[in-house]
Amino acid sequence: MGSSMRKKREKKRDFNKAKLKVGREKAKAANFTDTSFKSKSIHINQGALTSDNIDSAEQFKQNLSLCISAKSDNQRREAVAYITNQISSTPPNNPVGTSGVLTKLLPLLSDASTPVRAQLLKLFQALPPSEVGAHVEKILMYIRGGMTHLAPDIRTDTLSILDWLLDVAGDEVVSCSGGWLKTINSFSSMLGWNPNVGSAMTSKGWTTASKATLGTKKGPEAQARQIQALARFLEVGFKPEAPIPVKSAAYWDNIYRLPTTPNPFAYLNLFGIPRDEENEMYLDRGSRQRVFDAKWRATIEAGMEGARKEGGPVGRAAAALGRALNGGLDSPESGSGN
Amino acid sequence: MPKRKVAALEKVEADLVSLQYKIRRDPRSYAQEFYDQWLAYDAQRQIFVSSPATASNEDVKKFHDLVDLVAHVANLYPEITAPFPDHLKELLNQHHAVLDKELREKIVGSLVLLKRKDVIDSTGLLTTLFPILINTPSKTLRSLLYTKIISDLREANNKSTNHKLNRTIQTVLHNLVTSDRTSTKGMWACRITRELWRRQVWTDARPVDVMKEACLSDNEKVVVGGVRFFLGGDKEREEALEDDDSDDDVDLKKVKHQGTINKKTKKRSKQYEKAIEKIKKQEKKKHAPHPLNFSALHLIHDPQGFAEKLFQKHLQNTKNKFSLENKLLVLQLVTRLVGLHKLTIISLYSWFVKYLSPKQANVTSFLASLAQATHNLVPPDVIEPLIVKIANEFVSEASAVEVCAAGINSIREVAMRQPLCMNETLLQDLVMYQKSKDKGVVMAAKGLQSLYREVYPELLQKKFRGKQATMGLRSGEIKLRRFGEEEEGGIEGLDLLARYKEEQRKKKAAEEEEDENGEKKEKKDDDEEDDGFNSDEWEIGSTDSESSGGWIDVSSDEEDDGPAKKKARKSKGGADDEAPDLVDTEKEDPAAEAERITKLATTTILTPADLAKLQELRREAKLDKMLGTTQSKRKKELIERHIEDGVTAEDIELPATLGKKSTKEERVALARDGKPGREEHKSTQAIRKSKKEAEGKSTTNKEKARKKNFLMTIGKARAKNKRSLVETKKALTNHIAKSKQGGRRRNGIN
Repeated sequence: MGSSMRKKREKKRDFNKAKLKVGREKAKAANFTDTSFKSKSIHINQGALTSDNIDSAEQFKQNLSLCISAKSDNQRREAVAYITNQISSTPPNNPVGTSGVLTKLLPLLSDASTPVRAQLLKLFQALPPSEVGAHVEKILMYIRGGMTHLAPDIRTDTLSILDWLLDVAGDEVVSCSGGWLKTINSFSSMLGWNPNVGSAMTSKGWTTASKATLGTKKGPEAQARQIQALARFLEVGFKPEAPIPVKSAAYWDNIYRLPTTPNPFAYLNLFGIPRDEENEMYLDRGSRQRVFDAKWRATIEAGMEGARKEGGPVGRAAAALGRALNGGLDSPESGSGN
Repeated sequence: MPKRKVAALEKVEADLVSLQYKIRRDPRSYAQEFYDQWLAYDAQRQIFVSSPATASNEDVKKFHDLVDLVAHVANLYPEITAPFPDHLKELLNQHHAVLDKELREKIVGSLVLLKRKDVIDSTGLLTTLFPILINTPSKTLRSLLYTKIISDLREANNKSTNHKLNRTIQTVLHNLVTSDRTSTKGMWACRITRELWRRQVWTDARPVDVMKEACLSDNEKVVVGGVRFFLGGDKEREEALEDDDSDDDVDLKKVKHQGTINKKTKKRSKQYEKAIEKIKKQEKKKHAPHPLNFSALHLIHDPQGFAEKLFQKHLQNTKNKFSLENKLLVLQLVTRLVGLHKLTIISLYSWFVKYLSPKQANVTSFLASLAQATHNLVPPDVIEPLIVKIANEFVSEASAVEVCAAGINSIREVAMRQPLCMNETLLQDLVMYQKSKDKGVVMAAKGLQSLYREVYPELLQKKFRGKQATMGLRSGEIKLRRFGEEEEGGIEGLDLLARYKEEQRKKKAAEEEEDENGEKKEKKDDDEEDDGFNSDEWEIGSTDSESSGGWIDVSSDEEDDGPAKKKARKSKGGADDEAPDLVDTEKEDPAAEAERITKLATTTILTPADLAKLQELRREAKLDKMLGTTQSKRKKELIERHIEDGVTAEDIELPATLGKKSTKEERVALARDGKPGREEHKSTQAIRKSKKEAEGKSTTNKEKARKKNFLMTIGKARAKNKRSLVETKKALTNHIAKSKQGGRRRNGIN
C-alpha cells in the first residue's frame, strides 16, 4: 500500500503549481565561486588577442609553431604563407635561420592538406639556396618518407620538393650519405619496379598489374610524373663533373685554410655509426655509376621498357628516362677521357 | 590521462590500420604496399635516430604508427623485416632514457609481439629487456618491463619447463646479485625470483641460490628481500596454489539451466562447451599428483656455511647499521636455519645475552628466535646461562605479569627442544609460579611443569610430578635422554603393517584349508605365491587389501576346529614358519618384538601395495590417537609443528593474553567481525532485504502477499467472514489434507 501511495504522490507532483518567489535574490558574497558545473579539463586559448605589440621575431616564431600545431588547414596554410612572405621580403626577416625553419617545417611534407603542401613548396623555394646544402641529408630522409607515403597526393607533392632540392643542391643530393641508393630504392618501390618484393614473397607470377591498389587512383599522369622525377634524379647523378678550375693556391688552401663547406670530412664517417652499402656516400660520378650498374640498371631498364610500350605521357617520360640512362652509359668513357 | 591533442599531421586519410588489416588477409597481394611502408619506416627511423631527444611530436607519432604496423605483420614478410628486431633492440638500448613515453611502450610491446609470433626467441627478448629494467630511471617503464619479463618467463615454462632459458636467466640474476653487492640492483633479482617462485615456475635449487646470494649482499634492501623470501616465500606459494584452485569456479548446473531457458544460439552453446571443458580441466587438475615442491629452506646448499656467514656479516658485525626490524628478520632466518638443519653456531647463543632484557624493543621476537635456534644437539651448558638470565630478568614477583608470563613461556619453549638446559633449583622455583594470581603466569608455569613431567620428571619435586610420571619413573618407562642421544629410527607404522600381514596370512591359511577340501590344484598355486613375490601383491589395487568380509566368516568357522588349523600352518613354506608362532604367543619380550618388526623391513622388499597399506594404517592409527585411544606424544608433535613454521613472537606472548580482560571496543569489534555492515539503525530483516535487492533477486511470495494492496484483499477477507460453518469446516479439512500431501507443490513427496 505504501509504495502505491508514494507513486501517486509522485505523479501528482508534476501537476502541482510551482510557487514563485517574489523579490530580489539574496546578494552573493564577495568571494562567491560558482561550483555548479563540472569539467574534465580547462582549455586556455594561447593565441594573443592583439598582434600589434608583439615584435616581429616573436610573431615569426608564433607562426612557425602554428604551422605544425594549428588544427585547421587554413590556419596552417596561412601561417606557412606568412613565413614565406617574411623570408622572401627584402631584407629577409628570419630570426631562427634556415636550419630552424627546416627542422620545424619538414614534418609538414606529409601534411594532410594539399594547399598546405603547395604553400610549403613555395616556402622552400624562397629559402636561400646556399644555406640549404648543409641540410640535404635530413631533407632527403623526409622526402624518402614522403615518397612511399600511403596517400598518393603526398607522394606526388614530395616529388616536387625533390625537384626543388635537385635544383638547389643537386650535387649534395646524389652524394650525401644514403642519398643515392636509398633514394633510387624509394623510386623503384614507388614505381613498382621492385626486385626486393618479388624475392621476399618467393612466388612466381608477380606482374606489374597487381601493384598499387590501396584506394589510389594511379593515373598515367602520376606515373609519368614519377618517371620524370627519376629521370631528373639520374641525370643529376650522372652529370659529368665540371673540371675544377686550376688555382695555384688550391693546394695550400687545402692544407692550411679552414674548409668552407659544413662537415667536410663526412665521407670518413668519424663519429657516426658504421654505414652499410645503402647508406654509403657515393661522392663521384664513377662510383655512383658503378653501384647503379651493379644493383639497379637491369631493374630500371626492364621497368622502363615496359613503360615505354605503354605509350602516351608515360611512354614519353620513359623515353626521357632512357636518355638519362644512356647519358649514364656514355659517361664513363667521357669521364675517363677527361 | 587527458585526451591527446590531435595534431595536424595525424589527420591524413592514409590509414595504416586498414592497411594492416588488408595485409593480414592477403599478404602476397599487398607486398608492394608493405614494402613502401617499410621504406617509410626506415626513413622515419633515420630521422628519429639522427636526433632522438629532440624529435618533434609529429615525427614520433608517425614513427610510432609505422613501428606498430611493421611489428604486426613482420612474420608475414620475414625477409624484408629481418633487421627489424635488431632496430628495435638498438633503439631501446641506446635511447630508452630519452624516448617518448608512448613510443617506448610501443617498442617494448612490439618486441613482445615479435616474440609471440616467433620472430625472435625468449632469450633474445629477455636479454634485451633485462638490462633496461635495471638501468632505467623511469618507474612506468620499469613496471612495464617487469610485467613483460614475468609473463614471458611464465609463458615459456607453460607447457614444459624450459631449462635452457631458465638457466640463462638465473645465471643473469645470480651475476646481478654477486657482481655488485652494494647496489640496489639486486632488488630486481629478488623480485623476479620471488614472483616466479610463487607461481611455481622455478622450483629448483638455482633460484634459491640466487636468493642466498641476495641475503649475503651488503645492501640492506636486497638483504631484506632475500631474507623475506626464505621466511615467507613458501607460504606465499602455497597460498597462491590454493587461490588458483578456488577461483573462477564454473557453476555447471547454472549454465545448464540457462541453456534450457535462454534462446539457443551458437554463442551460448559455445559458452556451455567452454564451461564443460573448464570443469574437465579442473577435475584433471584435482586428480593430478601433488607437485613435489621442496621448501626453499630445504633446498639451500651448505646451510651451515650460509647461516654462519649471515650471522657474522649482519648480526655479529658491530659496524652493521641495519635497522632493528631488519636485524630481527635476519635473526629469524638464521635461527630458523639452525633449528631446521640442526646447525651448530656456538657464538650465536652468547650473542643473545645482551638482548635478553625486558627493556629491549621487540624482546619477544628475540625470545622466539632463541627458542627457534635451540635443538637437541646444542650443548646444554651453552643455553643454561641464557635460561638463567631470562629467569632473572623476566621472572620475578615484582615484574609485570605479561613479562613474567612471556619469560616462563619462552623458557618452556627452549626447554622443550633441549630439556637438559634446566637445573633443579631453577625449575622448582619456576614451577612455583603456578600459585601466582595472574592466569597467564599460571598457565605458563603449568605448561613448564607438564613438559618436565614428560621429559625429565626427576627435576620436579615429588608433589609436582603427577601420577603418570611417577608411575613411569617407577616402571622405567620414562627415561632421560642424554645429550646427543637420538631416538631409534624406524618406519612409522611398520609394526602395524607387520600385524596386518600376519592377519592376512592367517586368513589365507584358512582359505587354503577351504581349497584343500575342494581342489588340490589351486593350493599348489598358492604355495608358490607364498614363497616369492607374486604379481598380484605388487600392485596397489591388488585383491589382498580388499578381501571381503565373507572370507573372515569362513576363517573364523575354520578356526573352531584345531586340527585343521594346525594342518594349515604346516602346509606353509618353511621360511615363514617362525613368524606366526611369535605372533601367536600373547606375551612377548619387547626386544624380540622390535627385532621382529625391523626384520620385516630388512628381509622383505616393501611393495607399492605395502606402502599404500602402510599409509592407510598410519592414518587409522592417527585417527585413533585423536580420539584418545592411544596416549598422545604431545611433545614430539609440538616440536614438529615448530620446525615447520618456526616460533613467532605471538607464540611467546600467548599466555600473557589469557587472563586479560578485553576492553569493550575489542569485544564489540569481535562481535562485529564477519557480520554485514550496519551504517544506520536497521533491523536484520531490512538489511537482508536490501542486500537481496542489491543482488537483483526477486521477492518471495510471502512478501508479495504482504505488500498486496489492501483493497484487493478486502473482498476475500469479507467473504471469509460470511462463510457458513459447513463451508469453514470443508476449507479446514482441505487445508489439512493438502498440508499432508506437502502443499500444492507436493513438497517432499515424489
